Amino acid sequence: MKTAATPEAMMTAVDLEQPPAPFADFDSVVRLHWPAVFRFILASVRDRDAAESLTQDCFLRAHRASGRFRGDCSVHTWLMQIAVNLVRDRARNRRLQFWNRARATAVDFDAASNWIPDEDLSPEARLLAREQVEAVWKAAGHLSERQRTVFLLRFVEEMQILEIAAATGMREGTVKVHLFRALEAVRNQLRRHV
Amino acid sequence: MSRHLSSQRISMWMMGERAVDDERHVRECAECAGELARFEATLSRFRGSVQQWSDRHAAASERVAGPVRNAPIMWRLRWAAVAALVLLAVLVPIVRVTHRPPARAAMAQADAQLLEEVDAGVSRPVPLPMEPLLQLVASDTSDTTGATGKENHETKQQK
Repeated sequence: MKTAATPEAMMTAVDLEQPPAPFADFDSVVRLHWPAVFRFILASVRDRDAAESLTQDCFLRAHRASGRFRGDCSVHTWLMQIAVNLVRDRARNRRLQFWNRARATAVDFDAASNWIPDEDLSPEARLLAREQVEAVWKAAGHLSERQRTVFLLRFVEEMQILEIAAATGMREGTVKVHLFRALEAVRNQLRRHV
Repeated sequence: MSRHLSSQRISMWMMGERAVDDERHVRECAECAGELARFEATLSRFRGSVQQWSDRHAAASERVAGPVRNAPIMWRLRWAAVAALVLLAVLVPIVRVTHRPPARAAMAQADAQLLEEVDAGVSRPVPLPMEPLLQLVASDTSDTTGATGKENHETKQQK
């Protein structure tokens, strides 16, 4: 049985003054991983200011803990683990729950569905594609926090099940259950609206 | 041909859980193959749209990325700014308090001077505008007194 990965389990106490090779050039780590971390957090919280703040917080925590990175997983997975925890903490913050509900019911003019990738599509096909993406976007907004996290990590960040398990601290089987339920919800939404 | 893929089997397929029977069916069934292709295309477009949406926001927030690379320095600067504000908040009232006694002393001195002037004014025998008249009356009186004395002296000599 796979044990749940925790930040403490993935780090070990080593000399803080001697960062391991992956973090020797922290600027490069930020440049390389900022887009993915920001994208995951933005898609999770759907608030640019909050996403910027949490992404900064993510890299700040990574910088502070870089000396304890043991290398059991990739830097990307490790950073995603920090990001997942930050998003989870934010979702659990009771003071923000009212605003989260208010935002979920409001019309989101700045949704990702406005940004259909450039494809050689006819106007009708583009409209249909937009409606489909809107349905997925809406379904993702109604998923539980864990289902949404797993769904985004799998289908936006294209992480493997085991990587998602490492990043979320869930067991492999638990990841699959959440992913299955998320896919079912998304398919139901697609059937209803498209 | 086996039965079409159920919704659950399609979700399992998308997760990468593909049974041999399902793979065989999808190869033979255009309907199920089309259903899977549409779902995969939708998820692919969703990924693309989230990436473009995020890139657009990231471009707008690139100004933030720079300071983050120097996050420890930025945090130190922020703490320094907070410390400076706290220091100002403490020092300003202290400075005001230390500057208050001289102001109060000057005011008290001015009050005392004013009171002295009032006392002086009140203690005058006559109001200030009448003082020249008083002096005039005083000089007349002294003159009259002198003449009478002289006359008395002359009368005494005659006797």
